[in-house]
Amino acid sequence: MVDKDTTTGVTAEGTGVSRREFITGVGGAGFGLVLGGLVVKGFLLPDEVIAIPASDGYLLVDPLKCQGCSTCMMACSLTHHGVQSLSLSRIQVVQDPFESFPNDKAIIQCRQCPYPACVEACPTGAMHVDSETGVRTVDVAKCIGCQECVNACPMDTSRVIWNTEERHAQKCDLCQDTPFWDRDGGPDGARACEQVCPTGAISFTKEIPLQSKEGYVVNLRDAGWAQIGYPIDDAGMVSPKASAASH
Amino acid sequence: MAKDGYSGKILVLDLTAREHSVIDTGQYKQWGGGHGMGSAIFWDLVEDKNVGWDDPKNVVTMMTSPLSGTMVPSASGRVEVQGIGAAGYPIRWFTRSNFGGRFGGQLKYAGWDGVVITGKSEAPVWIDIVNDSVEFRDAAGLWGKDTQETQKSIWEQKGDEAHGWDNVGAARDAGRTTQRSAIVTIGPAGENLSSLGCLIHDAGNGAGQGGFGAVFGSKNLKAISVVGTGSVEIADPIALFNARMLAKDEFGAETGQPAPPNGPSLGRAPSPTLFFKRKAEVTMGPQACQGCIAGCRPRWSDGLANESSCQETGVYTTFDALKHGAHTDASVIATDLVQRYGINSYELARGLSYLYALNQMGILGSGLEIDTKLDFSTIGETSFAVDFITKVAMREDIGEDIAEGFVRAAQKWGRLEEDWGTGILDFPYWGYANHGYDPRTEVEWGYGSIMGERDMNEHGLNAHFWAVINHMGAGLDVPITAERYAEIVTAKMVPYEDDMDMVDFSTENIYSESMAKLVSWQRHYTRFWKQSALYCDFRWPDLANFAAADDVGMTGDGEPLFWNAVTGDDMTYAEGIELGRKIWNLDNAIWSLQGRHRDIVKLAPYIYQVPLETSLVGPFYPLAGKVDGEWTYINALGRALDIDGVEQWKDRFYTLEGWDLATGWPTRATLEEVGLPDVADALESAGKLGV
Repeated sequence: MVDKDTTTGVTAEGTGVSRREFITGVGGAGFGLVLGGLVVKGFLLPDEVIAIPASDGYLLVDPLKCQGCSTCMMACSLTHHGVQSLSLSRIQVVQDPFESFPNDKAIIQCRQCPYPACVEACPTGAMHVDSETGVRTVDVAKCIGCQECVNACPMDTSRVIWNTEERHAQKCDLCQDTPFWDRDGGPDGARACEQVCPTGAISFTKEIPLQSKEGYVVNLRDAGWAQIGYPIDDAGMVSPKASAASH
Repeated sequence: MAKDGYSGKILVLDLTAREHSVIDTGQYKQWGGGHGMGSAIFWDLVEDKNVGWDDPKNVVTMMTSPLSGTMVPSASGRVEVQGIGAAGYPIRWFTRSNFGGRFGGQLKYAGWDGVVITGKSEAPVWIDIVNDSVEFRDAAGLWGKDTQETQKSIWEQKGDEAHGWDNVGAARDAGRTTQRSAIVTIGPAGENLSSLGCLIHDAGNGAGQGGFGAVFGSKNLKAISVVGTGSVEIADPIALFNARMLAKDEFGAETGQPAPPNGPSLGRAPSPTLFFKRKAEVTMGPQACQGCIAGCRPRWSDGLANESSCQETGVYTTFDALKHGAHTDASVIATDLVQRYGINSYELARGLSYLYALNQMGILGSGLEIDTKLDFSTIGETSFAVDFITKVAMREDIGEDIAEGFVRAAQKWGRLEEDWGTGILDFPYWGYANHGYDPRTEVEWGYGSIMGERDMNEHGLNAHFWAVINHMGAGLDVPITAERYAEIVTAKMVPYEDDMDMVDFSTENIYSESMAKLVSWQRHYTRFWKQSALYCDFRWPDLANFAAADDVGMTGDGEPLFWNAVTGDDMTYAEGIELGRKIWNLDNAIWSLQGRHRDIVKLAPYIYQVPLETSLVGPFYPLAGKVDGEWTYINALGRALDIDGVEQWKDRFYTLEGWDLATGWPTRATLEEVGLPDVADALESAGKLGV
């Protein structure tokens, strides 16, 4: 796993760009940036004071540890909607059974972007940053169904879900609004997907992780995983016996 | 829609007319799901139970359960397949198979609890299900393709190859998904009507036994594709989540860590059982059916034999190792090819051993009594594997005879009596291959198979064989005594839970009433909880489990806990088993109409004549048993079954079941007791009602 303390950061402070330019820039090529150490709840841009607090937490996923069972997806739809559905899940696992490991699976989760294009795109404020937790989430009552947020997500598969049953946008809220769950969710509580994952392929951090176009750089595999027989090097290409000795 | 786990509709495909219709699931809810519904639908739709497997009037059911597509651990991904099978001897019974993956979940999300296949298409066809939309599509371009090519081709046609959110209809809110369509298909073996033909879904989910690949082939049905974007309604979401966490925290292995050396149970690590060894530079990742608590399959860094596990990976290892002194890519390529061609690997592996024995005896080979172009001097090489598997799939050369199954091939060759006597034809029950848990040792496997209609393939009791073996292999002592093991597992065997002798596998006990109780419990338990509720055989029943407190598994508490959370029912564990008894009786009624009689309910002759000397792991077959009244782990090798003892055991079993001792047919009293008076009427009309 990436050591957050060693990442080098580029912050927005002092860049001399407007708010819109800044967000646009981040939304386009911004994922090449390294965003370490940005834990302040807001920051200054030249033309105005805005508050885009960082999220209080982030889901970490390791697709090389994922067994593709979709239990995380079912847990998400269950706790948020009381049903079992893959289409309503705010975390998505996609896989190709014929592809070679580790290119056979991808876990698609919201990264709680530091500069959320989905929030910026929303004309009504439905997609917003929660003032208490910093979680990027949807106030369904304000959603007019324009799907601007869905399309604004800069990732190749949008992390904003269009709920075709209720016709509104929704996204990962780190389980802070889970009416069908008797546990406290959110950054200071538990996350359903993380709890149920049978392999431990989903974790959580309060630190902003290193981002790239491929996602966070995450390796949740340890010596115990190697003992089962799976590789624990970052690329998943070294036999577990060899990598266990050096891990 | 009711919040009970059901989608509410069963899809009926009329291949002849290329039309579909709908059955209200409510008509069959009393059967639970899966096998129970399948048997009931078959009973209702197939007037002549003696219909041929390749007759358009044969009906195939593919049923899910309320638990399908839910996060119930290791119960979400199975689909039960039933109909008259292409395999089996001397009668091709009404039979079952089952496959995992994500097909069942997608079917539920599309709004269907199952698919009923009737008729026969005039030309090759595949079915394209997208939520409520059902299309019959021309499969001319798919016919001849292997299972992998077929699925990729369908994905390409449907635009599923690209990642991202896909709108499944023209309307904006028709539904969205990121998931590829789930496809079940046949390969060349099924197309060519080989009884070894499987149904294959994704890379390694197969419904192998019964020859349903050939049944699909006979109906000109190449594949069924389904994608759904809807939801499964749950009665008590909070209870479901908490039950899942209970299973994970209290009965599962520590997350992401090695598990205690359990046999099949909830307490396993997500690791495959591999019989072949791969090169060190080839790495693997885990892969599971939908909702599984611990997956059992890998995907490989070279993509070969993806999702293959357990016996599939051993289809060629013996001959590979004999030729090369170690496993090579030949084993892997053979496994990969079996999946691509859609062949039942059990039949193939046992059958190849038989052919090799005949070759060594100078009977089978080029220019010999049984003539074949197979070059046995190259057995163990990749080239032989490819040649053999291709011949079987294509019905070429000796593959023409093998297509009828190895027992029927032996009969055609005039060798059945002799080779069933010596045991070189290792197919002990109804013409099906020995699963490896031989009836001479693990008698419940043999008894359960002959009282059913195929190799039963149920590992619930077999789990303790593996638990002992796994501990021995790890250099560990088995953490519980045989007596404690017996105490734990028999406590869960409702309604016979007071009898620990049910798992005494000593020779003195294997024909006893206790052993009849064991088989009766297993037949009833599996017919409902495993094959109708669709809990997976590799994780359930969870009897003894060394990852759990006091080594006591979740079975008994777990099954109804999940069922009731999903359905809102108030079913007890025992009520599920009683429903299993009802389903089991309906199955026996169908078999009776097909020609079942006590006189043909028997194991192959060598089981009575030739003592078994080796197990899958060598000269030791550990099972719980009593010696001089003391519990211990006995070595069950070295015995054959006593034919009179087996007949006495049959008396005891039929008595427990309430079936006629002379014929084995169900009686009116029993059928009425389980709520099947109309079935009793039908048997009486056919002269097949027991007295």
